[in-house]
Amino acid sequence: MEISSTITETEPQKFALPVDSEHKATEFHLFSSAAPHMRAFHLSWISFFSCFVSTFAAPPLLPIIRDNLNLTATDIGNAGVASVSGAVFARIAMGTACDLFGPRLASASLILLTAPAVYFTSIASSPISFLLVRFFTGFSLATFVSAQFWMSSMFSGPVVGTANGVAAGWGNLGGGATQLIMPLVFSLIRDIGAVKFTAWRIAFFIPALFQTLSAFAILIFGQDLPDGNYQRLQNSGNKQKDKFSRVFYHGITNYRGWILALTYGYCFGVELTVDNIIAEYFYDRFNLKLHTAGIIAASFGLANIVSRPAGGVLSDMMAKRFGMRGRLWALWAVQTLGGVFCIILGQVGSLTASIVVMIVFSVFVQAACGLTFGVVPFVSRRSLGVISGMTGGGGNVGAVLTQLIFFKGSKYSKETGITLMGVMIVCCTLPIFLIYFPQWGGMFCGPSSEKIATEEDYYLSEWSSKEQGKGLHQASLKFADNSRSERGRRVHSQTLPSNATPSANV
Amino acid sequence: MAATGLLLGLILVLGCFSEICVATISFSSLQTTLVVTVSHPRRLLRAGEDKITVRWGLNQSLPAGTDSAYKTIKVQLCYAPISQVDRAWRKTEEHLSKDKTCQFKIVKMPYTTGNQTLEWTIERDVPTATYFVRAYALDANDHEVAYGQNTDAKKTTNLFEIQAISGRHVSLDIASVCFSVFSIVSLMGFFFVEKRTGRKAQQ
Repeated sequence: MEISSTITETEPQKFALPVDSEHKATEFHLFSSAAPHMRAFHLSWISFFSCFVSTFAAPPLLPIIRDNLNLTATDIGNAGVASVSGAVFARIAMGTACDLFGPRLASASLILLTAPAVYFTSIASSPISFLLVRFFTGFSLATFVSAQFWMSSMFSGPVVGTANGVAAGWGNLGGGATQLIMPLVFSLIRDIGAVKFTAWRIAFFIPALFQTLSAFAILIFGQDLPDGNYQRLQNSGNKQKDKFSRVFYHGITNYRGWILALTYGYCFGVELTVDNIIAEYFYDRFNLKLHTAGIIAASFGLANIVSRPAGGVLSDMMAKRFGMRGRLWALWAVQTLGGVFCIILGQVGSLTASIVVMIVFSVFVQAACGLTFGVVPFVSRRSLGVISGMTGGGGNVGAVLTQLIFFKGSKYSKETGITLMGVMIVCCTLPIFLIYFPQWGGMFCGPSSEKIATEEDYYLSEWSSKEQGKGLHQASLKFADNSRSERGRRVHSQTLPSNATPSANV
Repeated sequence: MAATGLLLGLILVLGCFSEICVATISFSSLQTTLVVTVSHPRRLLRAGEDKITVRWGLNQSLPAGTDSAYKTIKVQLCYAPISQVDRAWRKTEEHLSKDKTCQFKIVKMPYTTGNQTLEWTIERDVPTATYFVRAYALDANDHEVAYGQNTDAKKTTNLFEIQAISGRHVSLDIASVCFSVFSIVSLMGFFFVEKRTGRKAQQ
């Protein structure tokens, strides 16, 4: 399955990594930046990291900002909700944009359009303006979808979980890194001579500039697919331009997308919530200094450097042995354990125990995020972007709901809120039991035995016979063939049925 | 194996107990022996600009020797109840080590008998809120033993408001706008260049 020269009529291409029939890399070499695969990886995680840094730049400085802007706990809660609610629809829109225009243009546009919100944070002067800038900055979290889409376009089944996990994990790292970076930048500026209420404003230029520069890097160095950019491929006839309405329809009518959206809300959504509340929680509950609270809060997000990739790697490992069923079981188990540790975190009262439990909790919750995106690339081929967007958007809905219910105003103490959040995680992870692929099975059922279900049947069901007659489904066919690895060890013992005959053109 | 487990358990247990060992002085155990008054030029004061004059001393109607244990005096700016609403980080707690009512130190100096006066310029990092002034008398171990405040026990009289600085500067405003415009314009520039090279490649 390793082809290193192409069959397009333009120019012959040689790739630095081994590739499959879609030219997606079948291996993942972390320390290479070879074009196009690994370069796309580095561009996507760095730009996503910068968006996370910007979105969560305010929380570690809240003890200063809340005094400067005269915020109440309700104002802070509202801004926290706003910061993650913008991305709910932005992620779905981004998914569609990726399907239609390609991840490179879609992500760079979003990043440059949200950079002004970060610059304007420096001049916020009231609770309302603070809420607005956090709302618009939060839109940039939709780059998650383009990053996952890009990885799913560049990397093949056996390594897609790993690629998605590392890209997203290292991007999410921004939520932790910012809790270290912002207090540090703030103290540097204050020590130079600025007064507290000015120093935090100047500090916001750092994430804003970083975000702007990463967008430039994507535009200059990135490309959408292993074979080139969408526009050029569409112009030369190598890629069919799909219809928005069909792409959107096939995405939203796939029930698995909705279930994953819900469960992602309770691993990633929880991660976003904790990014918003944890620094203040440690600062207020244990009377720590600002930058100590920042360091502890940072360790939550910093665990992403290994835990989310580990989730992706675990997903790929389970798939190798048990196929898609292994991926689903691992996801359910890890996410439920994350919920259990969240319950414990709200109960412990000492600083040391809180830190230890928080770190364990973070590992499980972030690994669950990595495991989710080991499943997502297989839910749909035609509407991969929409499914990624729905799942990603669901993550943000989870964050919005959790902050609204448990962390707004003064109704629950933060520790009670954390415990209740843990209970909600356990409950909202149960729907994974309902996910079923006819060709691979679900958690409790094996693959369909009523008729011989194949990968081709599943992926070609997204194309009408008229569309198949025009040959629009070729990419899905290739993908179906490549996805046979999701049968696990059975792939070698079962003969492949030949009832799916591709139309004879090109 | 067992030894490391035991050590870890010991560290966790000690961590849990460390909270209890801090001295727990409660506010209601303090005697109200000091008299504090504050005068200010107007009701709404500006941080960084206006001054307040604080006067404190022992209540003269008390027997002599009441203040024999007082070694240091600590005068603080404290939040009035109206500025504590929906702000748990300014909450009043019984135990002084947990109390967050008074977060700004006006002065801390050795205690002397007789009345003292201090003119204090409001610092620039004081936030917008309603305040009163409280003075604590500390003993040789730096523990609070008595206090006095310029308002009544319910903290409703003689309060004053302070307006904080905004922290904004014209140069910051201009920089924000310029960089934002630059981001949008450069995006449009990229699109323009892409369309042009796309058209050229097709020709």
